[in-house]
Amino acid sequence: MSEMITVTIDGIECTCEKGEYIYDVAKRNGIFIPVLCRHDAFPDHRACCRICIVEVEQRGRTKVVTSCVYPIDGECEIRTNSERIQEERAVLFALLGHRAPEAEVLDDMSASLDMSGFKRLISVDNEKCILCGLCVQACNALGTGAISTVQRGTDKKVDTPYDKPSEFCVGCLSCANVCPTGAIEYSQTDATRTIWNREFELVRCAECGEVMGTPESIRHAVGAEGDAPTVCDSCRKKRLADEMMHTYRYV
Amino acid sequence: MTEIDQASKIREIIEAYPADQRFALAAMQDMQHAFNYIPEEGLSALATYLGCAEAQLYSMATFYKALSLTPKGEHIVKICNGTACHLRGAMNLATELKRNLGIDPGQTTEDGEFSVELVNCLGSCALAPVMVVDGTYHNKLRVEQIPGIIDSYASAAKEVTAND
Repeated sequence: MSEMITVTIDGIECTCEKGEYIYDVAKRNGIFIPVLCRHDAFPDHRACCRICIVEVEQRGRTKVVTSCVYPIDGECEIRTNSERIQEERAVLFALLGHRAPEAEVLDDMSASLDMSGFKRLISVDNEKCILCGLCVQACNALGTGAISTVQRGTDKKVDTPYDKPSEFCVGCLSCANVCPTGAIEYSQTDATRTIWNREFELVRCAECGEVMGTPESIRHAVGAEGDAPTVCDSCRKKRLADEMMHTYRYV
Repeated sequence: MTEIDQASKIREIIEAYPADQRFALAAMQDMQHAFNYIPEEGLSALATYLGCAEAQLYSMATFYKALSLTPKGEHIVKICNGTACHLRGAMNLATELKRNLGIDPGQTTEDGEFSVELVNCLGSCALAPVMVVDGTYHNKLRVEQIPGIIDSYASAAKEVTAND
């Protein structure tokens, strides 16, 4: 076990290992830090929304850091909601809010902050995406790699190559589910699902009829050789439980 | 260039590098140099060779201004629009080029001969305004000189086709 450190977060003493991220330690101790681009599913974080900024006071010096990627390296005092942090967070929310005015989550999260004084900023029309790249990270983590950020500067957006339906997309909706602002659009009917301009069929559970996903996503999950399941997870568990009950009935 | 020629040229370019992701940019630059743009086949072949996602390469190709996904002209005309050149009338050069070639900066002529680009400081502020055609610097330009310079490149290209 590595070195243990005691830090104070918002007046609460917390014990952590050296190198742990502030956000993780705070979360473990029930201290809430707002985030957008951080997701528990990934070991490395993007640190690009910067909403999770906190104040760290160490050896008499105070600095503002992004808590999701700041490793604790010694005793320090951390403030997650000081006046300075609230002020800076309001600026971040204002900038993100003008970048993605359609993203309601930003309004909800900034409701308790003083959001006056940002009238001079001009909003991007009909935009929901804050360009955090979490969807791209999810797609790459799955090994599909169908989407990426294209162009740069003010033209930057998340898209498939050449704006065409991607042959690598499996229609799993991971990108849409991981998106903090719900910016990735998809539509679903009884039999099909459309995402990134590509239409997929839907596979339903042979027992309960719930949507299990697309044939491509199931194939991707089990691998080229694997047997594709015909029933959904909960039906499979139910089936297993029934089997167990019968097997151990007389034990 | 025929399709087979292009395919073998693509293979030649990408196989000159070890199959490692860090050579992606170098291979794409070579492709840009060979074809004046990065063909779609080239991008997917490179992705397969390096074992990375095509989307990732596409992201890089759209990020760097030096890489283009649509065919660039035979001759690339860069007009410097740094502070010094801008003050000494770089935009007048762009207007004159538009009068000559009929294209705005960022476009390519229909015959595929010229591409005009507006670039940031080329570092030759003392020679402002500067225009670079195919790597040759034309400095302290006056608007009247533009047609002559363009003609010299255009005729050179035509002579080559006449000799073929």
